[in-house]
Amino acid sequence: MRNKKIWSFLLFFGLILMLFLAACSSENENSEGNGEDGNTEGNSESSGEPKVLIFGRGGDSVNLDPITVTDGESFKVTQNVFETLVNFGEQDTTINPGLAKEWTVSEDGLTYTFMLEEGVKFHDGTDFNAEAVVANFERWSAGTADKYYYYKSMFGGFGDEEGHVIESVTADDEFTVTFKLKRPQAPFLKNIAMSPFGIASPTAFEAAGDSFGDNPVGTGPFKFVEWKRNDSITIEKFEDYWQEGLPKLDRVVFRAIPDNSARLNALLTGEIDLADGVNPSDSSSIEGDAALQLFERPSMNVGYLGLTNTRPPFDNKLVRQAMNHAIDKQAIVDAFFEGRAEVAVNPMPPSISGYNDQIEGYDYNPEKAKELLAEAGLADGFEMELWAMPVPRPYMPDGMKVAEVMQKNLADVGITAEIVSFEWATYLEKARNGEADAFMLGWTGDNGDADNFLYVLLDGDNIGSNNYSYYDSEELHELLIAAQSEVDEAKRNELYMQAQEIIHEDAPWVPLAHSTPLLAGKAELTGFLPHPTGSDKLHNVDFE
Amino acid sequence: MSNPDPKNLVPAEQEVVVEQEAGPWRDAWKNFRKNKIALVGSVIVFFFIFLAIFGTWIAPEGINDQKLTERLKAPSSQYWFGTDDFGRDIFSRVILGARISLGVGFFSVIGSVVVGSALGIIAGYYGKWVDTIISRIFDIMLAFPSILLAIAVVSVLGPSLVNALIAIAIINIPNFGRLIRSKVLTVKQEEYITSARAIGMKDFRILLSHILPNSLAPVIVAGTLAIASAIIEAAALGFLGLGAQAPAPEWGKMLADARNYLRNAPWTMIFPGVAIMLTVLGFNLMGDGLRDALDPKMKT
Repeated sequence: MRNKKIWSFLLFFGLILMLFLAACSSENENSEGNGEDGNTEGNSESSGEPKVLIFGRGGDSVNLDPITVTDGESFKVTQNVFETLVNFGEQDTTINPGLAKEWTVSEDGLTYTFMLEEGVKFHDGTDFNAEAVVANFERWSAGTADKYYYYKSMFGGFGDEEGHVIESVTADDEFTVTFKLKRPQAPFLKNIAMSPFGIASPTAFEAAGDSFGDNPVGTGPFKFVEWKRNDSITIEKFEDYWQEGLPKLDRVVFRAIPDNSARLNALLTGEIDLADGVNPSDSSSIEGDAALQLFERPSMNVGYLGLTNTRPPFDNKLVRQAMNHAIDKQAIVDAFFEGRAEVAVNPMPPSISGYNDQIEGYDYNPEKAKELLAEAGLADGFEMELWAMPVPRPYMPDGMKVAEVMQKNLADVGITAEIVSFEWATYLEKARNGEADAFMLGWTGDNGDADNFLYVLLDGDNIGSNNYSYYDSEELHELLIAAQSEVDEAKRNELYMQAQEIIHEDAPWVPLAHSTPLLAGKAELTGFLPHPTGSDKLHNVDFE
Repeated sequence: MSNPDPKNLVPAEQEVVVEQEAGPWRDAWKNFRKNKIALVGSVIVFFFIFLAIFGTWIAPEGINDQKLTERLKAPSSQYWFGTDDFGRDIFSRVILGARISLGVGFFSVIGSVVVGSALGIIAGYYGKWVDTIISRIFDIMLAFPSILLAIAVVSVLGPSLVNALIAIAIINIPNFGRLIRSKVLTVKQEEYITSARAIGMKDFRILLSHILPNSLAPVIVAGTLAIASAIIEAAALGFLGLGAQAPAPEWGKMLADARNYLRNAPWTMIFPGVAIMLTVLGFNLMGDGLRDALDPKMKT
């Protein structure tokens, strides 16, 4: 009896060992097998089968009517279904022709005239012309801030409202459109190049009304096929696309795989061809894998720790400065961005014109932090909640981990921080309502303009929308408003530099990093150019 | 009963209990000792209990000694189990995590045994509508997948180690309740209960001094096995971010944190995983041994 038990125990242990070893070996076999799969697929593709790109990303789109949304995952799709009057550069935010082949600007900066491409058709067969452009702008300017957030944010309001920059949009002839502005707007061209302002088919949106997002119709290289919520969105080649020879792919499927590691695994097993949001820690193994290639998205973002300026003790500037000295940003960048980021000093990245490189960041100096806390009457430290985002973001690959480092940094200067997190939508809502003491967040630029960082994120006007830190400085507000209508580039940059000095002194945030987001794709993928805004045009993508 | 000490002034009915208990317990220990596998289980369990109590003195480093320059180092003579992504010594964290996991295991099971036994005894002893109500509540609770119920409880209470412990205690209540109830149903038919009732003992006293002790053996077995599953449940909640919060070295949370480094630093995952496996294995082996030892039907 006893012997039997010992034997069964040994047998059991042996089985475990076998299972373990089997698991190890099958893993190897799998990865080899997949390599072969990849090859055979590649071969069959070149022999005339439809070329399908499966693009794995972190989340599903919110809506495919681009004007109604603000999230990058929606724009990733609409960027390929719709086109804007002017385009950003392939990998920067310079202005290039789009649906408008050329344009002129009056000397006072108040009149823009666009000459449109001829022979462009929407996916539903409607002709693209000046009337279509006017119809789109009329639709948007008749909206409300809840409906068309970006229109309000970029053009200051709707219809007859005081802040609305656009006075009129008129069709001069079939292919000429004139915009008249109430006051000069320096980043006007950059604004209309943004994904939300993709021109939609007037016949389609008039027929569909609010449900236009369920069946979007634009002029882009791909047309919408189907949307399986929380799973995938499929778009396919638009045969009548106005640019000859494009797009090169027959079909693109956007698949939502929330977990970064799971998404990379899907790429390794050949389920997807391109993976967004790669953990920096995986970058070296991807570079070492001949079947894969690593893409770096040019950096145009900022990740920060926002301090809610209305909540004690963060209503005290000294405490905010102390927080800036307490946190070891360099160590965070080295460890959790694997060095693929630079330490942030200002609220906007250095690539944006108007960046003030004279400002020296708060150095990592726990002693100085303690002194400042003592000066603020908090020598014994205090307790706070430290909010960390639950999901990986392009500007913050692993919020929880970075929060743990900050928690330790803060403990070193006597501040007890409890890490708190919520489901992402709740997190944003609560932080927007000013319920957090300190929260991690970030921003990816929409159009590469300083206004899109400083005004959007830190002006008192945007409290309740993107100014989560409730920072409100009258002095800053005046500078930012002046800069908005300043058309002279040098003067405008000067204003932004002053603005950054004020922000640096008041320290409403702890700026953490400007990251270089990473993507990975199969080695045979060509023509993929990640765009700094996060919305990539896929018309040139092909398989070798 | 055969040779009662004349100086012993303990009332007769209690003596019966003592006599009846002493015999089976001694037999059980004899049986248990013979069962080598169960002994191996106990050794593992006591090893982890030792770590849980004295871990603070054994662990070379604290739970949150971050050294970001030393991150993800492979196991070496300096870091026996390697370091995690914060440059923390995994060996120390695994040792210090024993207190959390065993603590959650023990205390959640004690909680569910106490509440479950109370409800089970009441249901079994009083029967009728009391039994119906309590038993149906148990049925409803058992109809939920247990981990889902635990997640629901934690999301109501908010994620923390204590709330995870409470959640695990709650989901295990019906198991113990049913067990005790069925045992009570048989015990209360015994003649000594009838005689206790005949001499006018109060219900409460009968429950406490006769029914409870005589129904306890299966609970001990089930409790030991439940500790094993409680540890897994705690680890699962920790993995989902609903249990212990950073920087606590809870094993499940360590696994979750290690997920991203599976490919390039597997030791961050292996050691906490092995720790969970070993403790659970230990409790299961010990529990099986206890069942064999305490089950009168197994006596040969």
